Amino acid sequence: MSRKPTTSQESRRKAPSGAARSRRDWRHPLRSWSGSHRASARQALERVRQQPLSSLMTVLVMTIALALPMGLTVLIDQIERLGIDWQRSAQLSVYLEDSVTTEQAKTLTAQVAALDGVADAQLLDKDLALAEFQQHSGLGDALQQLAYNPLPAVIVVTPSSLDGGAAALQPLRDQLAALTGVELVQIDLQWVERLSAILGVFERFTGALALMLILALLLVMTNTIRLAIESRREEILVVKLVGGTDAFVRRPFLYIGVLYGLIAGLLAWGLLSLGLAWLNASVRQVAALYYSDFALSGMPLADGLTLLAGAMLLGLAGAWLAVGRHIRDIEPQ
Amino acid sequence: MIRFEQVSKRYPNGHQGLDNLSFHIRAGEMVFITGHSGAGKSTLLKLIMCMERPSSGHVHVGGQNLRDLGSADIPYLRRQVGVVFQNHQLLFDRTVFDNVALPLIINGTPADEIGRRVRAALDKVGLLSKEGSYPIALSGGEQQRVGIARAVVHKPALLLADEPTGNLDPGLSAEIMALFEDFNRVGVTVLIASHDLPLIAKLDHRMLTLHQGRLLQDGEGA
Repeated sequence: MSRKPTTSQESRRKAPSGAARSRRDWRHPLRSWSGSHRASARQALERVRQQPLSSLMTVLVMTIALALPMGLTVLIDQIERLGIDWQRSAQLSVYLEDSVTTEQAKTLTAQVAALDGVADAQLLDKDLALAEFQQHSGLGDALQQLAYNPLPAVIVVTPSSLDGGAAALQPLRDQLAALTGVELVQIDLQWVERLSAILGVFERFTGALALMLILALLLVMTNTIRLAIESRREEILVVKLVGGTDAFVRRPFLYIGVLYGLIAGLLAWGLLSLGLAWLNASVRQVAALYYSDFALSGMPLADGLTLLAGAMLLGLAGAWLAVGRHIRDIEPQ
Repeated sequence: MIRFEQVSKRYPNGHQGLDNLSFHIRAGEMVFITGHSGAGKSTLLKLIMCMERPSSGHVHVGGQNLRDLGSADIPYLRRQVGVVFQNHQLLFDRTVFDNVALPLIINGTPADEIGRRVRAALDKVGLLSKEGSYPIALSGGEQQRVGIARAVVHKPALLLADEPTGNLDPGLSAEIMALFEDFNRVGVTVLIASHDLPLIAKLDHRMLTLHQGRLLQDGEGA
């Protein structure tokens, strides 16, 4: 015990020395740190288990808040992919004038096939067009009553590149329309573009919904952790009295947040997988009516992992918001 | 070990907790603080623990001016002090073992050492057989001894006690005081706030008598 007054600098240097004294070798702090984390994780698990009903409620609310925007995102994603597939197989239909003979049409087809930007050109003459229409339209018998074939011959053109959508195909379309004997050129892309525009609207809607639900999720998490802190007020006081740092007190609550996030994330993942499978049955039915073999591909692994990571991060963030304020308020008096 | 230099503590409600108090307790001493309730005994202990800050003056603990401690340093100060409370401050949802182990867990003692030191502390207070019990199943005297085991398990150089015999009968009180004397004998500085004058008088230790926040008397016996 020195009698001379200690300067503040001296004492500042002394302050950590007490803590340093108990750290005998360099491995000790690391070991005790990881040990303390293990203990905190165990404590978190115990606390969640001690209140199964309220924990379940919290987790379910979080699950719904996670599953709704994630489900919409996955759904929109898959429908979008369908649109892209259709864009890939997009073709230009070149309708020929009625006066064009079959021979002329063949020559024209060869001419079109030689154009720049054309990968393939197939002639669908009047008879073939009628046969195909009879088959697909279900009007077979009625069409046979017709005295003449009303369908024009068509050259089906597959462009070599589809990058840029309908707009990029415009020059080719103009070129084709200028050919003699061509009545009309149609690009079967417009409705795909309309679909993607509509999906864009839904995407924004989902984004806004996700933002609101994330906010709700944070509030739920913050409130749950606040209650957990309140119910442990006595314990926090004692821990602080015997020298527990704020970080030590905080840690189990942060683990609770992460744990809730993990459980809610897993539940949401399971719920989405089941939901998509259930939806898929009717989606296949609708697709079949449109002569498509489109089907939902289930919950992608990457999306599932993102969901899990996001959920845990949100749990942590919510818990952090709660502990930051409340633990500092609890001081021994 | 503890030095108060003209320490005053005035509470926001105008109550004068301590009034220009100065004294010095050397390492290895055992000292009683007495006085009526409201004389400032608890305030004095709270200042040492940094639960309160003085309105003026300086408090030194272990050569450290507490004024220089930031709030982040306070836990490390408390780890070097053992405290026994009148109301025990035990955690009732944990076993006796877990209660006593708390300071060791907080300062990051390795698990194998925790078991050894908790049992040594419980053995010292005569409660080794109760390590698996919950505090609610113990008598008041036993609960107080668990509190003492928790206060000494991390081998602090300074032991504080606030009315440690407050609710106990004279026989148990004498046992508790004997425990404190044992710790003092092995070099621990002990500071006990108590108004149990008959008991203190029988023990031959330095005594600080407070009255309305001032030091009334500083000397041996009563």
